[in-house]
Amino acid sequence: MEKSQKIVFLQALIVTFLIFNLGIFLGFKLEENRVNKVNTFYLESEMDLLDQRIQREIFDITTINCDKAIEANIDFADKIFAEAKIISRYESASRLSNELEFQHKRFDLLRTLFWINSIRIKRDCNADYDNLVYLYKLNDLSLEDKAKQSVFSNVLTDVKEKYGSKIMLIPIAADTGIPSIELLLDAYNVTELPVILINEEIQLNDLDEVKELEKYLE
Amino acid sequence: MVQILPYVYLGYMFISIYFVTFYLLLFIRNRKGMFESPKITKKYTISVLVPAYNEQDTIENTIKAVFDSKYPIDELIVLDDGSKDDTGKIVKSLLKKYPKLVYINKENSGKADSLNQGIKLAKSELIAVVDADSYPEKEAFGRLVGFFDDEKVGVATPYIIPRNREKFWEKLQYIEYSVIAFTRKLLGYVDAIYVTPGPLALYRKSALEHVGGFDKNNMTEDIEVTWHLTKEGYKRKMSLGAVATTTVPSKLKPWLTQRRRWNLGGLQCISKYKRYFLRKGMLGFFILPFFILNLFLGLVGLSIFLYLSISRIITNYFYVRSSFIVGSAVISSGNFHYTPSFLNYLGIVLFVFGLIYTVLILFIMKQNVMLKKHNFFIFLIYSTIYLMFYPFILVTSLYHYFKGVQRWR
Repeated sequence: MEKSQKIVFLQALIVTFLIFNLGIFLGFKLEENRVNKVNTFYLESEMDLLDQRIQREIFDITTINCDKAIEANIDFADKIFAEAKIISRYESASRLSNELEFQHKRFDLLRTLFWINSIRIKRDCNADYDNLVYLYKLNDLSLEDKAKQSVFSNVLTDVKEKYGSKIMLIPIAADTGIPSIELLLDAYNVTELPVILINEEIQLNDLDEVKELEKYLE
Repeated sequence: MVQILPYVYLGYMFISIYFVTFYLLLFIRNRKGMFESPKITKKYTISVLVPAYNEQDTIENTIKAVFDSKYPIDELIVLDDGSKDDTGKIVKSLLKKYPKLVYINKENSGKADSLNQGIKLAKSELIAVVDADSYPEKEAFGRLVGFFDDEKVGVATPYIIPRNREKFWEKLQYIEYSVIAFTRKLLGYVDAIYVTPGPLALYRKSALEHVGGFDKNNMTEDIEVTWHLTKEGYKRKMSLGAVATTTVPSKLKPWLTQRRRWNLGGLQCISKYKRYFLRKGMLGFFILPFFILNLFLGLVGLSIFLYLSISRIITNYFYVRSSFIVGSAVISSGNFHYTPSFLNYLGIVLFVFGLIYTVLILFIMKQNVMLKKHNFFIFLIYSTIYLMFYPFILVTSLYHYFKGVQRWR
């Protein structure tokens, strides 16, 4: 071999390391940026929910304006629904870090808290909205599960667009091992995922049942 | 499976970046002398061997092309391997016109065996092997002989380009041959040329005799003999200034057959020389690992591709079926939101990098006609779909390899 050329094997390796590491670095930055965005969503949502809960507490010691509470609740529901879609997209594009998985759990807790809050407001204010809780699988999805959940998601998006503030749509990943979520699943006898839980009473698991979803909405 | 995929992608990307960088660095270092050929300082005698089997359509032009060489050819031996067509008749009719033409009619025994018989008959210091459907240009031999001043050089090879380049499939190969030639030239700078192709290769006779000629059991005797010469410490050289044209398959089916044969020959070589892996000079430290890596990457890549494609098809089937049951739209606004992952961006960068590399080669090889408006579609197909065929051919070749199917051509 020409001695002077041997070095190219090594030079190429060094340049490759540099390019590759730069790529990985930029990749981490991209994902970090997305995690930061999700973090911001979370902090905002957390504050909103805290505000909702304080309103609930106020209701216990005095009377509050139910209309305002319901409106705030609906706004919050719309917000978390929009955020859920973005987070889901970011999650499916996450390759390097599992930070978003933890964020997802935090969001699920927040949404669960919101669900409980929504039940209370509906009860205390005698509100006429429907709680539509979409409990889905996040782990160990079969291809059929994936397809089914995509269809459920489409149906719920359409319903939400059609009924707007009349429904409180709350998506929660129900198989992440969070005890409070499991407690609620037990409480409402949810044994199969995905499921759409309407007003904590009606469970829709099958595609045929989901077809009739609008029938159950008040 | 899904969890490990990003790491597999990263592995592929690392290897791809490495090789593109490696070639680019070699090009940058040697860009000034790429088309130069060594000066002729000594007169060498050349015997040309043309193995032929049913080559009545091309043999006459091949003989003419060889004798048109500016560098004197001392003899041209046509080794008729039991042709059933008029090959023999045509060659015999040319014997008077070309006194240095020798016709050998023999029983069909395969290309390698024909060449081995030719080596025994050849009287010259250098032996050129020319396929019966290939045509060395006038300057080709003269631009190759200078390499043999270095006694360690065992073989020299020119820039092979398709002679037929009108049809769609031929144009694709035209681009491919330019990329192959350019890459081979670069590999020559690190003594890593792993094949001296059949259309034209000029061997030192003593080197061929030293390695015992061509392997009759290998389907690509040109790859095998190159590996053997490498193992024995002979250098392999390439000249981009020396040109030979060859007839390439015009349709998909013969193209697939040809490529399968190339792959089968490669697999036979890996099997024959595997004991030298990481042991014997450039053969063990570059050529064998390079072939094995290609084999591995091709198979793993194809498996992943099939896994993802089939998964996507099944998921889409369930999705469409479920959408129909529920009565929801199959295409929703959500389908148009796609958030690219970091790997998607890296893949795009790598693809663009590859495109630039191919464009660069076509410019350097003065084949930028393939980048003109009327050929640009061909260029895009080459850069995307054409290269995707490789792993599929590899799998069918493996199947044939283990099944033991072998054909002469």
